[in-house]
Amino acid sequence: MATQADRITAPAPSWGWFLQAITGLALVVLLAVHMVAQHFVAAHGLRDYAEVVAYLRNPLVTAIELLFLVTVTTHALLGVRAIVFDFGLSDPAEKRVTWALWGVGVLTVGYGVWLTWTIIR
Amino acid sequence: MSRDVPVKMFRFKPGDAAPRYQTYRVTVPDAANVIDVIEAVWRQDASLTFRHACHHASCGTCAVRLNGYERLPCIYSVAEALQGRDEMLIEPLRHFPLVSDLVVDVAGFFQKQEAAGLVITRTAETSLDGRRYSPSELFDQAGKLTDRPYNRFENCVECGICISACPTMAATDKFFGPAGLAAINRARQQTDDPQRKSLLLALADGEQGVWRCHSAFECTHACPQDVDPAGAIMSLRHDLAAQKIKRLFGGQG
Amino acid sequence: MAMAQDSKLKRAAHWADVRGRGLGMWAYVLNRVTGIGLVVYLYIHLVVLSMLTGGPAAWDPFIKVVRSPLFLGLDVVLISGWLIHGLNGLRVTLTGVGLGVRAQKAMFVGFMALAAIGIVAMALLVFRS
Repeated sequence: MATQADRITAPAPSWGWFLQAITGLALVVLLAVHMVAQHFVAAHGLRDYAEVVAYLRNPLVTAIELLFLVTVTTHALLGVRAIVFDFGLSDPAEKRVTWALWGVGVLTVGYGVWLTWTIIR
Repeated sequence: MSRDVPVKMFRFKPGDAAPRYQTYRVTVPDAANVIDVIEAVWRQDASLTFRHACHHASCGTCAVRLNGYERLPCIYSVAEALQGRDEMLIEPLRHFPLVSDLVVDVAGFFQKQEAAGLVITRTAETSLDGRRYSPSELFDQAGKLTDRPYNRFENCVECGICISACPTMAATDKFFGPAGLAAINRARQQTDDPQRKSLLLALADGEQGVWRCHSAFECTHACPQDVDPAGAIMSLRHDLAAQKIKRLFGGQG
Repeated sequence: MAMAQDSKLKRAAHWADVRGRGLGMWAYVLNRVTGIGLVVYLYIHLVVLSMLTGGPAAWDPFIKVVRSPLFLGLDVVLISGWLIHGLNGLRVTLTGVGLGVRAQKAMFVGFMALAAIGIVAMALLVFRS
């Protein structure tokens, strides 16, 4: 039986597939941007501590990096979910796995936000 | 002219702790197919269980794994099976419950076919585990369908090879599978009734429907009858995607 | 009812068996393997970034280590993973909504060729700078 929470976290059986495809397409762009900004703009391709702080203090950079983190975490965890589901779990077990992965995702993004904040303040 | 064929045969009987392999040597005509080898083994050892019927690839009954790959032995020559090999390896299909030796339980497979309304059924039929879904049970959430066709003629011979080849079918029996989804697509094309079409599309959209497919395309690769189940799955997905996009923009998809 | 053939765990490992399988199966396995590798890399990367909380004293020596040829080589491996996974993913997305299904094999070969070119180009860029 789909609870209200289920309806938000798993609206339809196809949601996983479409979200995976959309984040995947977005990552083609976001990954390219991240790579260029991180490794081809900086001298020698890597930033030392001072350069990292300066880079992250740019609000546009922070916004894009955060978007990148959310997108890549979503895509990665949906992938993990697909692999785990291929082990033939029961329906309740599948729901628990989906919930658990949502949790991991929120924690991951939260960690990224915390880390960024710690560095730039 | 005849030839000597060494065969490594998969053996398993209910109650065995684990399957084992037994080697036989049989003599068959040069131009024989692998089904003749299986029958020759049975003449030596009548305890071997296997399935066969038409011997010309129109019933799908005899499907096995030959040298690790899914084949219909009735149309696969011994000469080709022994090319570059010392012996022939014969095993049952994967991803079906094992009954005995080369025989697997195909009840679940046919129940999924029936969900699309395509199977020729006898009312007194029961599956090996005693369970049977009645047509009205299967269509309960979607509405009653009383005018199901009794016959259909098309490529699929329900041999189950695509199920054995499919990586998604590996650990789950719930996934509809290539044959089941191809059947839904076919049923969708065969009917003129728009309500029936829409019900079948919804069936493919379910938890165990098209979205579990991982696009390995192995079903199409392995199919001996050109059914192209992968193409059917992608066609269903295309129509479902179009429907969802239309609905997203307030249309009637 | 059902007598077990293989344990569920063993059956679940069937996805990795590419013996005698077609090109599409290779694509699927490649995508899954690169995907797993990339998830592992993602979390390693996130953990490594925590070194920034140690300030320049912790971070700057680390940067020196990462400039070594070994790490640059690992970077090329990583980039290969991205290119293969991304390009094949594009193929899965397109065929997955019913576009270009007939050409799926050609698409795979074409995209992997693109990936190969990309890998070589990236490797040159990485080792030149």
